[in-house]
Amino acid sequence: MPLLKDGNLVGEDAWLSVADDAPLPEDRPALISHARWQADKEQLVGRNAPVGIRLPNTVDVLDFGPEAGRFDLIVLEFPKFSDGRAYSQARLLRERFGFGGELRATGHVLQDQLWHMQRCGFDAFEIAREDATQAFAAAMRSFSHVYQPTGDGRVSALKQRLAATRKQEAAE
Amino acid sequence: MAKAPKLKDQAHIVTANHLTSGDVVYLTVRNDWSRDIAAAFVAPNAEAAAAWLAEAEAQAARNIVVAPYLVPVDAGTTLPWPIQFRERIRAAGPTTEKAAGGVA
Amino acid sequence: MYQYDQIDQTLVDERVAQFRDQVARRLNGAISEDEFKPLRLQNGLYLQLHAYMLRIAIPYGTLSSRQLRALAQIGCKYDRGWGHFTTRQNLQYNWIRLEDAADALADLAKVQMHAIQTSGNCIRNTTTDQFAGAAHDEIEDPRVWCEIIRQWSTFHPEFSFLPRKFKIAVTGSPNDRAAVRVHDIGLRMHRNAAGETGFEVIVGGGLGRTPFIGKTIRDFLPRQHLLSYLEAILRVYNQFGRRDNIYKARIKILVHEIGIETIRDKIEAEWQAIRDGALKLPQEAIDQIAAHFAPPAFETLLGGVAPEYANAFRTDFEFGLWARRNTFKHKQPGYSIVTISLKKEGEPPGDMKAEQMLAVADLADRYSFSEIRVTHEQNLVLPHVKQSDLPALFKALKAYDLATPNVGLASDIIACPGLDYCALANARSIPIAQQIALRFKNWERAHDIGELKIKISGCINACGHHHVGHIGILGVDKNGEEFYQLTLGGSADQDAALGDILGPALDTAQTVDAIDSLVETYLRLRRNSDERFLDTYRRVGLQPFKEAIYAAA
Repeated sequence: MPLLKDGNLVGEDAWLSVADDAPLPEDRPALISHARWQADKEQLVGRNAPVGIRLPNTVDVLDFGPEAGRFDLIVLEFPKFSDGRAYSQARLLRERFGFGGELRATGHVLQDQLWHMQRCGFDAFEIAREDATQAFAAAMRSFSHVYQPTGDGRVSALKQRLAATRKQEAAE
Repeated sequence: MAKAPKLKDQAHIVTANHLTSGDVVYLTVRNDWSRDIAAAFVAPNAEAAAAWLAEAEAQAARNIVVAPYLVPVDAGTTLPWPIQFRERIRAAGPTTEKAAGGVA
Repeated sequence: MYQYDQIDQTLVDERVAQFRDQVARRLNGAISEDEFKPLRLQNGLYLQLHAYMLRIAIPYGTLSSRQLRALAQIGCKYDRGWGHFTTRQNLQYNWIRLEDAADALADLAKVQMHAIQTSGNCIRNTTTDQFAGAAHDEIEDPRVWCEIIRQWSTFHPEFSFLPRKFKIAVTGSPNDRAAVRVHDIGLRMHRNAAGETGFEVIVGGGLGRTPFIGKTIRDFLPRQHLLSYLEAILRVYNQFGRRDNIYKARIKILVHEIGIETIRDKIEAEWQAIRDGALKLPQEAIDQIAAHFAPPAFETLLGGVAPEYANAFRTDFEFGLWARRNTFKHKQPGYSIVTISLKKEGEPPGDMKAEQMLAVADLADRYSFSEIRVTHEQNLVLPHVKQSDLPALFKALKAYDLATPNVGLASDIIACPGLDYCALANARSIPIAQQIALRFKNWERAHDIGELKIKISGCINACGHHHVGHIGILGVDKNGEEFYQLTLGGSADQDAALGDILGPALDTAQTVDAIDSLVETYLRLRRNSDERFLDTYRRVGLQPFKEAIYAAA
């Protein structure tokens, strides 16, 4: 399935998804399940190569969040596009726990949800489309303004208006 | 959403909504769609009805209609007469006799 | 009224363009019906019993005359020349073609309107008191807060795929005309001991299959924290609300299952983490929005009754009836709030023809600073009418069948579209409403009965608010026949209560007769004409009413 990172197609995913009972590769970034992380935590913290984690959308990020910094990749799941729990998980990871690694959306990822995902902090998307880059580019052109402040750095309408008023007042 | 009735071994017609207009339509003997329930092809039993629905679903997949389903009808009448009250309203339009008029 | 700036207009225009593209992708087969459905729903486009239905958002029920004219024109251009006002202060067209939908939305955008988030599992149009900014009993204008919520909730990236739909209502008055206790979140403005205004926050109210009166989660929320607190509630709901069963997915079920204390702890903890962040509202930002809702240029009128008004009241009996029932006390001396009944006996409740819309738009220009409101009881309001203009307004309304003097009376019935239009309904609502209203056409009897709120839903989803009707009527399907279950004693006001089931369901003819018998029973039992139906019911209980309906059987 095509993988987009920051809007560009990633030729080959550097991450190896490792089954719960398989050994971890020594020299390659390994993606593990949340269950494995909980079971083998002691062992995994000593590992040199990067570790990524796949977080089910039923995990309470307030519990997991303090450990987020140990990972270079967190994969969040959309079992159906209409199941929006991972939007909140993403914002909490980015904005509450300061997660700076790759935040990847997987599952039922559709063009018309990419704008929301990107606003919530996702920067990578597994999207089942041949024209994934065009779909992403189109989605990013959806809106020129935003009403809500999120961690994506866009300036909210409210802040834009206040800045405009202050500028005007300063000029007077 | 259309409620799919349980498939009894009786006469059925197939209905759907036309994708672009949204109009209530019925599958005719010519495999096209009519707004007039009188033109609906009546499948005499459950087996024929299932095959008939499959044809309609193929047309839904080709983006001609939306959400096709079977409607049980009374086969003893000259025109297909839906057994469910809901389907009669759907065929004939709202019953509310509005002063606003059913048409512009 | 709120006026869009370049930002608001750009967003609405971009939304139209986005939807146009989505429709094109649907028509060329790039996306399936399953993928398209939530997209069209978030733009208000349903596939109903007969056709596509387009639900237009009327933010907090406020319309300008220009907007109402546009609604009339769109109704003629793309539909059948009329529209239907809903219990959520919105407007529905029943026969929109998919291929025209983007054009209709583009026409709406020209008058700063849209259909954004009028369906789907997202935050819906915020509703409020239809008398906002005019009522004599108001603490603060709730429209300011509704607009702040509108902006925050529009295209919210985190809360567009919630477990289920989410409805917020705000009241700025102690007399609740916005039914805040039966919403996912209800906000009631009040003053604390220091004299500051803030919000009582109520969560988990709602009707539908499992009705609940909302519970207070916070007694007093300072104004600047409104958005952070809402975001905290929604974030908890988005993560923990049930998604395994559509009937258990509303926040009311979460509150019920984990308990108000637990959910309060979660929400308060989340709020503590974000309360002083980017959502905290600077006073300047509140002031900027509030400036849009500055009072119109009222004339300074002397106290006392205008001679034109007094004279008409004395000499024109019909006018007197209308003025008594359909006007409400304004905060500005010499002005009244006028409710335009869309409940002429025998007509479908809430329906309005395009020519009536155009007439009301003209009357709003002439008599009410070009402002119109939509009520959750499916009527319209002219919020600022000089009392001296009331006789002329009455005459003009009468010419368009819009002067029925029945606001709050037995024939002022709330009814959902029911099986005549709705794909979910089990029974018809509108014909029952029509027949009942005709029973109370006699003005003398209707006015003698006084306030009586009859509310009809055609299925358990309760769009007609039957649980909170003084008399509630719920349509059910019994072996393919329409039956109706009656409830008594519900109320959506500040004394909110759910009705009690009277007994076994009745058929259509029995139902209409039963309403008559219930009213006769009330008239027999009431202490005096000041005791309303609801008061009598609360005093005497279900039994005498039950006997009146079922004893003979």
